[in-house]
Amino acid sequence: MIREKFKEALSAVLPITLIVIVLNFTITPLDSHYFLRFLIGAAAIIIGLTIFLFGVEIGITPIGSLMGKSLARSNKFWFVAIATLILGFLISVAEPDLHILAGQVETVTSGAIGKFGIVTVVSVGVGLMISAGLLRILFNIPLHKFLTVSYFIILGLGIFTSPEFLAIAFDSSGATTGALTVPFMLALALGVSSMKKDGQDSENDSFGLVGIASAGAIMAVMVMSILSKSDRVTGSLEQEMSTSTSIIAPFVRQIPKIAFEIIIALSPIIVLFFVFQFISFRLTKKQLRKIVMGIIYTFLGLTIFLTGVNAGFMEVGALVGYKVAALGKPWLVILVGFILGLVTILAEPAVHVLTNQIEDVTSGYIKRTAVFLFLSIGVGTAVALSMIRIIVPGLQLWHCLLPGYIAAIAMAQFAPTLFVGIAFDSGGVASGPMTATFILAFAQGAAEFIPHADVLVDGFGVIAMVAMTPLIALQILGFIFSSKSHKEGIA
Amino acid sequence: MTYCDDINHLELVFVIVNFGTGSKIIKQARKSGIKGGTIFLGKGTSENHILELLGISDIRKEVVLLVGDRETAYNALEDLNDKFNFHKPNHGIAFTIPVDSLIGSGYNITFENRNIEGGEEIMYNAIFVVVDRGLAEDVVDAAKSAGAKGATIINARGSGIHETQKLFAMEIEPEKEIVLILTDSSITGDVTKAINEKMELSKPGHGIMFVLDVNKTYGIRE
Repeated sequence: MIREKFKEALSAVLPITLIVIVLNFTITPLDSHYFLRFLIGAAAIIIGLTIFLFGVEIGITPIGSLMGKSLARSNKFWFVAIATLILGFLISVAEPDLHILAGQVETVTSGAIGKFGIVTVVSVGVGLMISAGLLRILFNIPLHKFLTVSYFIILGLGIFTSPEFLAIAFDSSGATTGALTVPFMLALALGVSSMKKDGQDSENDSFGLVGIASAGAIMAVMVMSILSKSDRVTGSLEQEMSTSTSIIAPFVRQIPKIAFEIIIALSPIIVLFFVFQFISFRLTKKQLRKIVMGIIYTFLGLTIFLTGVNAGFMEVGALVGYKVAALGKPWLVILVGFILGLVTILAEPAVHVLTNQIEDVTSGYIKRTAVFLFLSIGVGTAVALSMIRIIVPGLQLWHCLLPGYIAAIAMAQFAPTLFVGIAFDSGGVASGPMTATFILAFAQGAAEFIPHADVLVDGFGVIAMVAMTPLIALQILGFIFSSKSHKEGIA
Repeated sequence: MTYCDDINHLELVFVIVNFGTGSKIIKQARKSGIKGGTIFLGKGTSENHILELLGISDIRKEVVLLVGDRETAYNALEDLNDKFNFHKPNHGIAFTIPVDSLIGSGYNITFENRNIEGGEEIMYNAIFVVVDRGLAEDVVDAAKSAGAKGATIINARGSGIHETQKLFAMEIEPEKEIVLILTDSSITGDVTKAINEKMELSKPGHGIMFVLDVNKTYGIRE
């Protein structure tokens, strides 16, 4: 298993590493200490991803699916509704990305919307939608109908939301679906849906919960912005740029901070696990030990991974963005953005968890290479579009998001249900830590050089794009699959 | 033994390999004349004690089922062994089991009820039915209506003669369900007949069913 996971991590991280190395020796030479940090970061990401992936497989996934099963088995509507609401709230509250986003929102609204308030509201939104999403599975409400209604509500709310908050709202969907919450939600849905008797239904319902949770976060922020009537963004964000030329120091500085954040993020899952173990799982000692090992691996792997990303990749992302923009060739910025989008998504941890689950649920019918290919193209397009948006002054975020979501919802009416679920999940999955640091930094770096671009407004919204394009890309894959799966030569 | 004459000696080939190799096995087996195959996922463990202690000894596996007449099956197995080196460690394992009857995939060798006469006679049968995903419930219903006590459904993927579509370089193998039913051999004929009638397995593209002999069973309630 180690070799299998290591290979997976290696093939995930090598592409982006190679691209940056090529950029370094061609158009955007980096200072040697940044470049060395990047290489160390890449090594840390490979090791971290390897450990994280088997940690999730033997720890987080079993916990999630066991919980899903025992919740569904209770067969009591109110118990499932309230328990999943609390569950969703807790995992969202503990998500470090959400706290970072909320902190930024507090800064840019000059305190009009407090950090505490936004974390609470978004978590309630996520909790409500997770609860509704799981009940949907139990009551056999078709996924595409559920999503259509959700996104119509978002559209309605969006009309009253200012452009700045629109970006923040869509970004918050990316922030709540982090590297830990996604595997957990995926497993939860898997656990509930695996109770279904019909094999086809059970498979279809294994996906979609992450997408539903993302919609909850978007709605929550929109409601909050409308209610607080604070629609103007005033402050500005300061970008931390370390001036130190030390190579190791940034890594050492990051470790304790990241380790603490991950402990917080893991704690609700661990606590709930032991509560459930006491009440309903009653696992044997051997099973228990395996899951505890899984949690430890998840913690170690994610700490190493995020340290590598934050200390090694973030600044390089910003520098590459700035330097490419400085060359004064707009098409080059768009092209580099597209290529970086293609390769960054491969290194996103939750993507691997999702593709593994897809292979398991479909017994290998949907191959991961196909999912990766379409996801890559989707995210590449998203980053390229974001760059165009930064370069072209009049183009606003909703000019891209609105047609995108309309297309996604329209496709959901006809695409195979399985792919609708996978597509909406992969939207949340794609906007993980790797995009949130590297791609965001790249966009902000580019925006910093382009005079009319607003680092804040253009920076927010990149994640929103990355979360939107996979919806379309993977549903296209679904159409291709369904058109190719029919049988020939029989009536 | 009148229920299968010489040309109709059938074999089920079982191949267990690391995850990702299953599709290659089917592709290779096709070249040797096997018409299709079914793959399901499994988990294996390595013998390494340190890995076991660390809780990371599981390895994902794929189990491939191939059915054909004896000559084709043996040839295919020989070719597979040449290509995939099963004799080397960690390259997978393969074995064959004789099959009594086979319906679908161009064969139509039906099973007749057997009367148990001597002590040597085989008492039970394992019926394997491979159908498109979502249809397993129908198979189970048909089997129960003919007296079967229960069934086990395994998720799988696979491809028959009618299903070799390609997406770029990848072959798409549609999702399947394998239904495993254990029956007393005095009713096996009825059960297989009921399934065949309901699922219309003799028509192309509707699935495949084969029956194995089983000497002893535990846990089947009379």
